[in-house]
Amino acid sequence: MEEGTEVLRAEGLHKRFGATRAVQGVSLRIRAGERVGIVGPNGAGKTTTLLMLLGAVSPDAGTVDLVGHRLPGGRSEAMRRVGFAAGYLPLPDRLTVLETLHFFAELYGVERPGARVGAVLDELSIRHLAGQHCESLSSGQATLVGIAKAVLHHPRLVVLDEPTASLDPDVAIRVRDRLELLNAEHDVTLLLTSHDMREVERLTDRVVFLRDGQVIADGHPAEVVAGSGHADLEAMFLAEAARRREEQV
Amino acid sequence: MNGRRVRAMVRRNALAQVRNPGHWFLLIVLPIVDALLFGSIGVAYGDGDAPVRLLITGTMLFHLIWQVTLAGSLGFLEEVWSRNVLNLIATPLTEREVLASLGLVGLARTVVTVVLVGGVGLGFYAVAPESAGWVLVPGVLVLLAFGWAVTLMVVGLTLQYGDSAEVFSWGTLVLLMPLSGVFYPTESLPAVLEPVARAIPLTQVFDAAREGLETGRVAWGRLAIGAAGSAVSLAAATWFIDRQLRRFRREGWVTRFT
Repeated sequence: MEEGTEVLRAEGLHKRFGATRAVQGVSLRIRAGERVGIVGPNGAGKTTTLLMLLGAVSPDAGTVDLVGHRLPGGRSEAMRRVGFAAGYLPLPDRLTVLETLHFFAELYGVERPGARVGAVLDELSIRHLAGQHCESLSSGQATLVGIAKAVLHHPRLVVLDEPTASLDPDVAIRVRDRLELLNAEHDVTLLLTSHDMREVERLTDRVVFLRDGQVIADGHPAEVVAGSGHADLEAMFLAEAARRREEQV
Repeated sequence: MNGRRVRAMVRRNALAQVRNPGHWFLLIVLPIVDALLFGSIGVAYGDGDAPVRLLITGTMLFHLIWQVTLAGSLGFLEEVWSRNVLNLIATPLTEREVLASLGLVGLARTVVTVVLVGGVGLGFYAVAPESAGWVLVPGVLVLLAFGWAVTLMVVGLTLQYGDSAEVFSWGTLVLLMPLSGVFYPTESLPAVLEPVARAIPLTQVFDAAREGLETGRVAWGRLAIGAAGSAVSLAAATWFIDRQLRRFRREGWVTRFT
């Protein structure tokens, strides 16, 4: 994909749930090949923003253009080029890993799904899991299978919600390695949320920091940190989380 | 509508159901048990083979509509139990394709149930499953339409209440069974319930089936009323599911399934 092409453009997103203003005027443009992290403490609006970008939640105001298709009308077409995985989301019960990946390959319209599933299993070194039922996988194994699902169809954009949540450190490192490889070798654009600021600093070249549903910083992690006056992204995150706690009290 | 995606969903649904012992019970065991139960009641208390034919035909028609409803509502609940809803939303799959796949699995289940109940009737009580005659053809179509309407309503409720809506998936038809006169004329009901029974489209079909068994005639008038009632139910259910899907996105209900 041509460097610099926009894969995502969100303009003026607003979302309110009852009295809670979850997202207030978030705009976001992501170019092909970028690695973008959306961060912020709990309640900052990360997941709501992500769900609006995927078309799972409709914004009260604002527009989303995903790989050239305006949501919600173009959602089905857009999702042919978008992958999604969430660390907290299990895969379907009662299917083996092979059946699950084959199922999603069919949904994504992958040509020769059998061959592609085999190739992805090999790329992620998880072929040995093929015959295992999804409900019997460990968290780390399920995360890797979830990532396999997300890249089956050669997506232009992969959206990852908390990709390494609740993983052992060694497995988390393996997952991060795979994601970096995807971006570097397959030119996949990454958009992720995480509470692990070290992971964000390592995996992304751009951070979008949310506070109370608004973007308060957007740039390279080093620039964002420099602008905040904190030592690093983690210190910035902790300060924001503490501020939010105080407000709630 | 993309046929490949519908096929994939049908396969996923079928595999999930085949591997769930609860589905085997509902699909295989219960229709056989009901056919044996009502067939034997007909033999014990009836005079001649007419009551057995009536009870077996009623069992067959009731399970036919019940299986359509179960396939649709439990098929969707399976995705809720698996917390697979967001995974599905994040694919090109459309709502219509999901519903089409649920409908196709439902039709497959009706074939199984008709074969089972018909087989028990023929094998143990010498009652032919088609003994009500031609009335069964339009009657089955009306029942399927009403069953689909119930399915859409239950899926719509599941979108809002998650797996708390499970009781509606099997309970709605259980509630309608005594009221719609599956095994008896609605005049047998307490007088206060008769108007309620008359308002249910199923009642007309079961009445027409009984008339077919007794006289061999097709009660077109009753079937027409049943068809009109089913059409109204289907229109209301379509409006309801459409509204629920819009609310699902607007209210962010997807977070209840993650």
